Amino acid sequence: MKINLLTAAFMGSLLIMSSLAHADRLDDIKKAGVLRVATFDSNPPFGFVDPKTNKIVGLDVDYAKAVADKLGVKLDIQPTNPANRIAFLTSKKVDLVFANFTITDERKKEVDFSTPYFASGTQFIAKKGTLKSPDQLNDLRIGADKGTTNEQQVRAQFPRATIVAYDDTPFAFAALRTGNVQAITQDGPKLVGLLANVPDRDKYEIPAFTISNDYEGVGVPKGEPRLLSVVNDTLTGLESNGTASHIYDQWFGPKSRAPLPRLFKIGDPQKS
Amino acid sequence: MNGWLAPKYLIWLLQGFGMTLGLSVTVIVTATLCGCLLALARTSRTVPVRRAAALYVLVFRNSPLIVQLLFWYFGVATLLPEAAMTWLNTSHAVDLGVFKLHWPSFEFVAGWIGLTCYSTTFIGEEFRSGLSGVPAGQHNAAAALGLTPLAAFVHVILPQAVRIATPPLFGQYMNIVKNSSLTMAIGLAELSYSSRQVDTETFKTFQAFGLATVLYILTIAMLEVVLVAVQRSGSRATVRR
Repeated sequence: MKINLLTAAFMGSLLIMSSLAHADRLDDIKKAGVLRVATFDSNPPFGFVDPKTNKIVGLDVDYAKAVADKLGVKLDIQPTNPANRIAFLTSKKVDLVFANFTITDERKKEVDFSTPYFASGTQFIAKKGTLKSPDQLNDLRIGADKGTTNEQQVRAQFPRATIVAYDDTPFAFAALRTGNVQAITQDGPKLVGLLANVPDRDKYEIPAFTISNDYEGVGVPKGEPRLLSVVNDTLTGLESNGTASHIYDQWFGPKSRAPLPRLFKIGDPQKS
Repeated sequence: MNGWLAPKYLIWLLQGFGMTLGLSVTVIVTATLCGCLLALARTSRTVPVRRAAALYVLVFRNSPLIVQLLFWYFGVATLLPEAAMTWLNTSHAVDLGVFKLHWPSFEFVAGWIGLTCYSTTFIGEEFRSGLSGVPAGQHNAAAALGLTPLAAFVHVILPQAVRIATPPLFGQYMNIVKNSSLTMAIGLAELSYSSRQVDTETFKTFQAFGLATVLYILTIAMLEVVLVAVQRSGSRATVRR
């Protein structure tokens, strides 16, 4: 009898242990009351240190906060850099990565990605009113940076466009200012940063289209389907109740320092 | 080193090579003409003309070519009225029946003007040294034969000056070919530009730059051959006379 009792106790504790081992990350997060998230700390406006408060803020941080709020737990931000993002997830140092994390097939082998919450792509700066739709690109002279994927994409998709490649973006922009080219191409967020520092930026605009798309999602550890679905549900919820576009406008809206039209909404079909 | 370049990229490089040759030839022609005028101006008897020519040499020989090219491409463009820039940057073609003559791109025009202004100073100085290399006795002898100053210059001085100046002149032509590579900074799709383009698309760095180097060396070697041919025909002509 006594032995039986011991056995039962042993079996019971085994069961508890195994259930602990099976308890997934979502339960761990709720139990700890803390969601550990890795973000950038020097990549404005996605994640950077606010000089006034000395805290990490940004678009990615706001989305992470929304997920933490949904779970009803505290948010714990850990700074990361591009190279460490996957390692942070696989070593369980953090639960999620919100760090302008572009979804690629290579990365999908190591981590899972949520539905994309941000998209960037090859875009253009032109003098106001000169460039409205991608079809016009075929008849324009377009400045690019030598050796960028942007240059290659324009050449592949618009074979009749005249591409003039310069050593770097400031040279390309100088050519646009002087009228040697009618538009220049780069990644949307980079163009926004460039335009933010131009004194006569009212003369230029970033037309509201991209010719390629990179999608950024939340990095989730492999084998955590419940956590992944909570993140996905939260993101789609943020879009339907308007919070997502509110967060976007705070960093990229018309009144922000670096206005960039919002071309992608969470849940939109992905273009290649 | 994995294989050779695909035909598409070889065509890119050859197109770039064609641009390098086209630019070099036009610059050689205009810089030689302007260089002649510059040499005459520097040896002119009118002081202001001589001063102006000296000032030109001072400015254009003593600043880096890359800065001059950036000046012609970016700097001058800001001075020109917007309508002129639009005209320069849209394509114009003259239909000559058999083929169409296209107005060159603004990159080409800026590169051509920049290289011409720069090379004119060197070529002008070579001509000047050729002119001053003709012994004073030749001037006097021509005058003693009753030749007018112009006739003396054309028939006596110039042929000798050209012969003295020919070898260094070809050295300057070789410099023009090599200097034309700097126009890649202003976006002219010449050989260096296309070799870099091919390198970034194929990652076949050795092949891309290797082929470009070979093409440059070939061009210089061709100039060398022409120089030898010119010198031979020149000396034969003297013997015949």
